[in-house]
Amino acid sequence: MKVLHLISCATLTLCAYAAPVSAFDFGQELRNAARELKKPAPSSSLGGYSEQEEVAIGRQIAGNLLGAAPLVQDKKLQKYVNNIGRWVASQSERPDLPWHFGVIDTSDINAFAAPGGYIFVTRGLYLLLEDEAALAGVLAHEIGHVIKKHHLKILQQSKMLDMGSKFLGKQIGGNDNIEKLIGSGAEIVSRSLDKNAEFEADRMGVVLAARAGYDAYGLPGVLQQIGHASANDSSVALLFKTHPLPDERLSKLDEAMDSRFDNLNGLNLGKRLYRIK
Amino acid sequence: MKRKYYCLSLLTLLLTASLVHAGETGTTVKADSLRDAPFSDAKVITTVSASTPIEILKKNKGWYQITTPQGKGWMRMLSIRRGDAKQSGKGNQLTGLASLTSGRAGTGKVVSTTGVRGLNEEELKAAKFDEKQIALAESYLSSRDEAQKYAARGKLKSQQINYLPEPAQGGAK
Repeated sequence: MKVLHLISCATLTLCAYAAPVSAFDFGQELRNAARELKKPAPSSSLGGYSEQEEVAIGRQIAGNLLGAAPLVQDKKLQKYVNNIGRWVASQSERPDLPWHFGVIDTSDINAFAAPGGYIFVTRGLYLLLEDEAALAGVLAHEIGHVIKKHHLKILQQSKMLDMGSKFLGKQIGGNDNIEKLIGSGAEIVSRSLDKNAEFEADRMGVVLAARAGYDAYGLPGVLQQIGHASANDSSVALLFKTHPLPDERLSKLDEAMDSRFDNLNGLNLGKRLYRIK
Repeated sequence: MKRKYYCLSLLTLLLTASLVHAGETGTTVKADSLRDAPFSDAKVITTVSASTPIEILKKNKGWYQITTPQGKGWMRMLSIRRGDAKQSGKGNQLTGLASLTSGRAGTGKVVSTTGVRGLNEEELKAAKFDEKQIALAESYLSSRDEAQKYAARGKLKSQQINYLPEPAQGGAK
């Protein structure tokens, strides 16, 4: 959201400058320069990265995130979320990405997606889950971000974008270069996406979970839980800062879902949800 | 449900309502039908108006079983927002909901109730790449085939469902 806001500010600024240039007729060169400025940078076109590059970027971000919060030491848990996540991701347009899922050891309530299919749920969020359908819904929301390349868009729209295409074009594999692209540590995962990107990931999340055979209301159920009693809890501070509030997300989902899922008999699998010991 | 759950709730305090507890309060966010079963074609008992305080008894997929001043029945989950006066410690459920819907939630007074600090932006920014951890994470990869077999064990069947269109701007029902 912040990034988009900056971009719209930049556009406004450009327009503001462009208008006086024309009005006072400072010369053709200036007008041309203004026109050039208004053109989007060539590297901002999406899909500019190969899948290999996308995965390399995601791996760096994911490795940095794990540097801040490591995996919960529970192999069965990690394997379980990979089984569920991969099954949900298999219902998407990118079933063959090397999807990776994990639960990271922090009491914060949040989930993160990095390009190329790296997805992490925090222990704090995992402990809220009522059933496997809820886990599927949360993972499906993050899968939606990966499929739509929401975070890649942020990278490409940010000031690093020019560097990005130059560095990644030929020198993929060098962590230093990717690090230059993604900025400090795992900062990218704490940046806000456009609100509409979150609503889009919510809509995709309920559909992907339902495609996988789950109750589509897993994700809305989690949003209800997060929204109803957490106003004063620091564990949701980052989540609430970077996402629209649950209440608004639920309203949007209500509009989008309407009665469309009424005749589906998705499963909840409450008993199969792996409980962290 | 779950003794284990109560232990966890000590940690995350307000947030661990793993199942809807009998007696949890909420409020309707729009007028909707109260039905005698959790289905859209179930008999309508009555219509409950927006902003009605209710009590949530049970959840069944996209439905909550609730008690309202007009009686007990089932209503669509998304016509309701959960909010519990007792758990939030505010003594008045409407206060809690009001602060949530006005957009002040999580931005104003951020008070740690857990004493455990989670991930914040500074920590994320300062994070250093951990090759061992990422390699470990990658070692847990499930192949499509493996995941499909696990899904089949849970009797999950994939279905063809189109993505949802973006609702029209201002298109609230």
